[in-house]
Amino acid sequence: MTAPLLKVENLRIELTTRDGVAPVIDDLSFELGAGESISFVGESGCGKSMTALGIMGLLPDKIGRIASGSIAFEGEELSTASEKRLREIRGNDISMIFQEPMTSLNPVYTVGEQIAEVLRAHQGLSKSAAWASAVELLDAVRIPNAQRRVSDYPFQMSGGQRQRVMIAIALACEPKILIADEPTTALDVTVQAQIFDLLNDLKRQTGTAIIMITHDMGAVAEMAQRMIVMYAGRNAEQGPVDQIIDRPRHPYTKGLISCVPHIMATLTDERHELTEVAGIVPSLREFGKNQCLFASRCAMVTQECLDNRPPEIEFEAGQKSACWHAGTV
Amino acid sequence: MSAPPLQPQEELPTARHPFAEAWEMFRRNHAAMVALVVLTLIVLTAIFGPYIYKTDPFDMVWAPFSPPGVDGFLLGTDYLGRDLLAALIHGARVSILIGLAAALMSVFIGVTVGALAGFYRGWVEEVLMRVTEFFQVLPTLLFSMVIVALFGASLPMITFAIGIVSWTAVARITRSEFLRIRELEYVTASRASGAKNGTLMFKIILPNALPPIIVQAALMVGSAILFEAGLSFLGLTDPNVVSWGQVIGSNRQYILDASYTVTIPGIAIFITVLAISLVGDGLNDALNPKLRQR
Amino acid sequence: MSDTAQKDVLLNVENLTVRFAVKKGGLFGQPKYLYAVDDISFEIKRGETLAIVGESGSGKTTAALAVARLVNAYKGRVDLDGTDFLTLEDEDLRQARAKMQFIFQDPYSSLNPRVRAEKIVREPLDNLDAVPEAERQGIVDKLFEAVGLHPEQQRLFPHQFSGGQRQRIGIARALSTQPELIICDEPVSALDVAVQAQILNLLRKLQADFGLTYLFISHDLGVVQHMCDSIAVMYMGKVVEYADRLSLFNNPLHPYTVALLSAVPSVDKKRRADTKRILIPGDPPDPLALPEGCRFANRCPVAQDRCKTQQPSLKTVATGHKVACHLVDETAVSPLR
Repeated sequence: MTAPLLKVENLRIELTTRDGVAPVIDDLSFELGAGESISFVGESGCGKSMTALGIMGLLPDKIGRIASGSIAFEGEELSTASEKRLREIRGNDISMIFQEPMTSLNPVYTVGEQIAEVLRAHQGLSKSAAWASAVELLDAVRIPNAQRRVSDYPFQMSGGQRQRVMIAIALACEPKILIADEPTTALDVTVQAQIFDLLNDLKRQTGTAIIMITHDMGAVAEMAQRMIVMYAGRNAEQGPVDQIIDRPRHPYTKGLISCVPHIMATLTDERHELTEVAGIVPSLREFGKNQCLFASRCAMVTQECLDNRPPEIEFEAGQKSACWHAGTV
Repeated sequence: MSAPPLQPQEELPTARHPFAEAWEMFRRNHAAMVALVVLTLIVLTAIFGPYIYKTDPFDMVWAPFSPPGVDGFLLGTDYLGRDLLAALIHGARVSILIGLAAALMSVFIGVTVGALAGFYRGWVEEVLMRVTEFFQVLPTLLFSMVIVALFGASLPMITFAIGIVSWTAVARITRSEFLRIRELEYVTASRASGAKNGTLMFKIILPNALPPIIVQAALMVGSAILFEAGLSFLGLTDPNVVSWGQVIGSNRQYILDASYTVTIPGIAIFITVLAISLVGDGLNDALNPKLRQR
Repeated sequence: MSDTAQKDVLLNVENLTVRFAVKKGGLFGQPKYLYAVDDISFEIKRGETLAIVGESGSGKTTAALAVARLVNAYKGRVDLDGTDFLTLEDEDLRQARAKMQFIFQDPYSSLNPRVRAEKIVREPLDNLDAVPEAERQGIVDKLFEAVGLHPEQQRLFPHQFSGGQRQRIGIARALSTQPELIICDEPVSALDVAVQAQILNLLRKLQADFGLTYLFISHDLGVVQHMCDSIAVMYMGKVVEYADRLSLFNNPLHPYTVALLSAVPSVDKKRRADTKRILIPGDPPDPLALPEGCRFANRCPVAQDRCKTQQPSLKTVATGHKVACHLVDETAVSPLR
């Protein structure tokens, strides 16, 4: 077996807040193979985005830092890499798209200029070659009339088109990993379907591995092979997507799946009450305690959950659950 | 449905008013805190000083041009032999009073105009904003000089002259805040629950628009004091009332021979206005929710 | 159900149209109008829930705001329990608002940040003077309990609550005047998934307890399917399909509805295998330069020539099922099947 493309081990990211230092990522390990797609799921404030920023070396200056653990990209350690090296890797090997396509493009440059800029900076293309590639890329992300639209300004495009431009920029240097942080949350479902379709096609064609961060279990089911459920900075459960959806081994995962009214193949008259996950995500102050952080919202809570942090229990096909009662969920 | 039981670690936060939080923020700004102390001292002096230091600032108490510290007069005497310390203490009242009154007046006019324009939009806004622009393009000093020259240099008239030329900034700020806030959902929510226009304007929108207005008002007190000094310097002042600007104005011919007669009230104005600006700045930081997270 | 037929209609909206003047062509030029809501009709029976579903720009929120007289309708009727809401003026309108309340999308901007929670819930009572002052506090106490908040929390300010709790305050406020109709404008879309379930369950419970009628605006078909008795699908200001819950979800007819349903990602493996995803390419037309034919024609996978020239009208194709598509007839078969 070849070495994984990205290997994260025992990662701990600390954030300095007014109340002290909080581990926003606490002992996270996972692997990503080339061409694979993995999804991070959880509510806001669970550390999903922080993982992405940590991998990209984009943690907020002076506030966030990698306290321990390692992030190895093709065997190269990123957590200790120089800022210069990280800059080379960002955009070239790992790139990222964000949730808000409205604000992540610069409004005073045309989209062509913004794509070409990336190509020139990272690949040293000439001005005209970069421009020609920009047109090709826009075409690849299925913006009709790419030749003409390349000179449009961001405000002349719809939200979906802007997100496509962001994807074009992210893919400009044929990265090995694309991190998509809630890429479709701000978009309509029909547009979301187009973007998912596009991402899946691009993955097939270029072999780019995708890390998708989302709160939508449906999106995970459509887009990813494996998923990591995050809760309060910790890995609650990880494993193959279909297997987890069929048989979640962590009460939080179970809650996340059943609290959403999913569209069913055939609808009947009866309507079940939705499963509630009571309460909310704990505040940063609670992070890092030696107990199960989900205990306060969990229906299966016992004394053990409050006394000690649960270990990861392994099931078949690499499904792991950090729950004292994983066997009985 | 009963409330879910409180989690042990979920203590109920105490009900703190947003202004209490603003005070917390303000206290962290050291420059503003120092300025607030200085300003408090100045105001206390203005209120109680005249009862303690009873020398009449118009009395000729000693030989003219006695320098500070000589002959028992801490700040010396002016060209008529009047006690400068007395002038400073008694003048503080007038300067600050005019500053406050003029700022209050411009806030009153500005908020009314801005609120109406921002709330009703349409032709009301058109008309009011054209009027505002008219006052904005007037040469302010000249206009207030004309008013004082025409209607006499009494304190109320001077206050009016300053207020009438400086409300436009408040009107613009109020209008833009109203335009922003009236679109927020809680305003729509109040409308949906049957609030009257007056309630919407003054009970719902205005309190939320206050922070930048308060900051602007604080800064305006400073500029009104300066304005009054400017008018007094030009002789457009009530000769029977002493103010800092008036002291400078009356001594201006002797600026080369006895520079302290002009410098000392000048410093008083400078310190007061600076203190007000710093407090205004502190208020701005404290009341601006975007900075609160830092 | 047997009592369905006896349920009377609480809200009847007819030919509602909302337009906004967008650009004045110079001083004397003709203003250009954007028809955000274009001639839509629907009705809600007492105690039931009607959802208006659509994507951004479909006009669903504008329609809701127009029903509540929070934006001005250009024409149409909004009959609430026999009175035309759109013709009421000033004081009558203010008092009539007690019967129709609104729950907003964004729990962060829908509560006045300078007012304590109890006062927010009380505000409609204070505005309308229908309840004597002495009784108001008691009502507030009951409402706090009904929406699952602690009495101690009454004294807190909005920023001291979480998103879900804020939405509970918003719901309590809407209930305070004992309205007959509550318009919920995307009440859960700003909340975390786990909290959404809490609010949706609460809304359904309150509906059962107080016999409320909901007009429910949402873009989330999963939520709509869970919450509603009938659904109107909007596209570019028009209702393109209008049916009861089972008909719409089990037999969607309009190509747009079919595409919309197929676009929703699902955790159900069977559904993913069964449903062919219908991608609708491109973007909606410019709302200021609407095509003369069907507004969906430029993205419709089965559009024909007449779709581009003739606007389809909303017609009944089966019991309780209306569609605005040239390609759907009385057999009620979707052209995409």
